[in-house]
Order: sequence, then structure tokens, then C-alpha cells
Amino acid sequence: MLLSLRWIAGALVVVIVPLVASAAEPGAAGRIKVVSGPVFVVRANVVTPATAGQALFEADTLRTGANGRVGITLNDDTRVSLGPDSEARLDQFVYAPAEKRGGLVLEVVRGLIAYVSGRIAKLSPDAVKLETPNAIVGVRGTTLVLRVDAK
Amino acid sequence: MTREPRLIVLLVTLLVTTACAGLLGACSHARVQPAPQRQAGTLVALLPDADDGTVGRAFVSTPSGMAELQSARASTSVVGNGAPGAVAPLSEADVQALFGSALSTMPRRARQFTLYFQFESDELTAESRALVPQVLQAVKDYPFPDVEVIGHTDTTGTAASNVGLGLRRATLVRRLLLDAGLEGSIVDATSHGEADLLVPTPDETREPRNRRVEISVR
Repeated sequence: MLLSLRWIAGALVVVIVPLVASAAEPGAAGRIKVVSGPVFVVRANVVTPATAGQALFEADTLRTGANGRVGITLNDDTRVSLGPDSEARLDQFVYAPAEKRGGLVLEVVRGLIAYVSGRIAKLSPDAVKLETPNAIVGVRGTTLVLRVDAK
Repeated sequence: MTREPRLIVLLVTLLVTTACAGLLGACSHARVQPAPQRQAGTLVALLPDADDGTVGRAFVSTPSGMAELQSARASTSVVGNGAPGAVAPLSEADVQALFGSALSTMPRRARQFTLYFQFESDELTAESRALVPQVLQAVKDYPFPDVEVIGHTDTTGTAASNVGLGLRRATLVRRLLLDAGLEGSIVDATSHGEADLLVPTPDETREPRNRRVEISVR
């Protein structure tokens, strides 16, 4: 009896979690809007499959497999998308215009990435950086594409 | 007809320079070094904005040099620890062939609405009130939408009090959106106070166009 109750409680949790995924989550930096093929989120060294609608946080890594693609929109309206076999980490996301603070650092580990600037680039023109293993791209706006071949 | 050979030339050049740089690097070191490895490579291109054609600006830097991109499809490559290569434009066909998979996955651009209040009042103007149904309609265009309501003020009063004033007005507009049918969990109210002026002014300047509430649907 106890076991079956636990099982039911577990099943309820599984059902409920996807429903609250679209709720505004405190501290989130943005949201995954488009997922196609194999895509993963790496958070605190734990790799989980990405789902459209999922919230993203500072320090999260996005990883795509062969044929995988993903598109995200950050809270300042910045948009980023990754092609197949790609990996990028949201190293820094600070969006606090009222305190005159803003910063966005995206580490492109490998693969294909497209970036369209949002409000941080407008309010703090020197605060957006796309970093690759061998270059730093300072972005004043607005649309950039990068291809990174890792060592 | 010409686009594929050009693309191949571009990629072969990248690979060859990568390999050569690796060989040179190994040669200049002691003989005990292992076989040359492929070095990291970065190709960066600046594109015109897909919606309005605006071309921005970007700086590509490494410890040994810097390149500035400021025209449509301007690109540069960095191989290993080298400086950015000469800036050269990619063709539209190259951009599509190389970056089409990422570009086609870009989420839809956020849409902005600007609302104004009647003078010294907590009531929206008639024109602004009429925008509310448009906001609700726009939300339907976005998968897993987020709506951010941002309060802005002019520079009259202290920065801190203006953050409070902006938040109060954003909260009023958020309430209107919820009453009109939006789900509360997707609507956030925030304030930029006097830090994000539509019309630049000195401090302590009354400017009705700066007293506004912006709604971003994304």
C-alpha cells in the first residue's frame, strides 16, 4: 500500500514538472525556444536532454549532437542559436539596467553559432563578448555568426 | 555555379593554414615534441540584421592582433595563436552553406509595444489602451512565450524613486494584461527607472516621452 502510494506520488511529480516548465523562474537568464534533434543542457556537470520551453541559467552549457539544433532567447531579448555538433556556455549574464549593470559572455567551445544582440549590447556597448578557444569577439551589434573548430 | 568552388577554396584555405600553422609551431620547438596537432580555428562573420538590414560592428581580438568587422558579411579567421586574418566578405551563398543550420534555428525576434499614461495619472492613454489586444495577439506568435513589462521614467526626481515609480506603472500594466487574459506565470513586471531614456535629456528634466511602459513579447 505504502509502496503504491509512493509510486503514485512519483508519477504525479513526473506529470507536473513539465507543466510548470513554462512558468517564469526566478534567476533564469532566458528560455530555450526551439529544439531539433539531439540537444543537451549541462548544469553543474549533469547532462540532461533539453526541451523547448525550458529555462536557462547563467553557467549553463548547451550541447548539440549530430543533426541537433537549438535556439534560445535571453531575458534582454538577445537571441542565440547553435547548429549541429556545437557547444556553448553562458559564462555571464547580468541584466540590471536600473542599477546600470549589464554583461553577457558566451563561451563558444566548438561548432556553429549565430547571435543577435539584445538590450545589454544597446545599454552597455562594451559588455558583450563571444569567446572562442583562440579569439575574443567584442560585439557592438547586431548579428554575428561563428564557426569554431576545437583543437 | 561559382559558389561551391569558392566555398571549397575558403574551407581548404582554412584547413591548410591550420595544418601549416601546426607544422610551423612544432618545427620551432624541440624535436621531442609529438606529431603536430590541429590547432583551434575560429571564423567570424558580421551579418546584416535579418529584419531591418542594419549592419552592426564587432572586434575580433587575440593576444597578437585585432580585426574590426563593420560591413555586411565581413569575415575574419583566426588560426591557432595567430592574429586575426585579413577581413574579407563572405558571399550570401557562403553564409547560407556554412551557417544555415544555426541561422534557421534562430528564435523569432522579440516584439515591442510602448504605452503611455495620461498626464499625472495612473490611466493609460486611449491609444495605449487599444494596444492591449494587439499584445495578446502577438503572444500567440511565440512558442513558450515570455512577456516583460518594463517601466521607464524621465529624469525628474532621484534615480531610486524613479525605479519605484517605473515598477509601480509596470505592475499596473501587468495587471491589465492578466485581466485581459494572459497567464500570470509568463508576465514579469520590472523597472529601468530613469536609466533607459527614449529621448536623451539632462538630469531633472520633464520629458513625457520618457515616461512610458514598454512591453517586450519574446
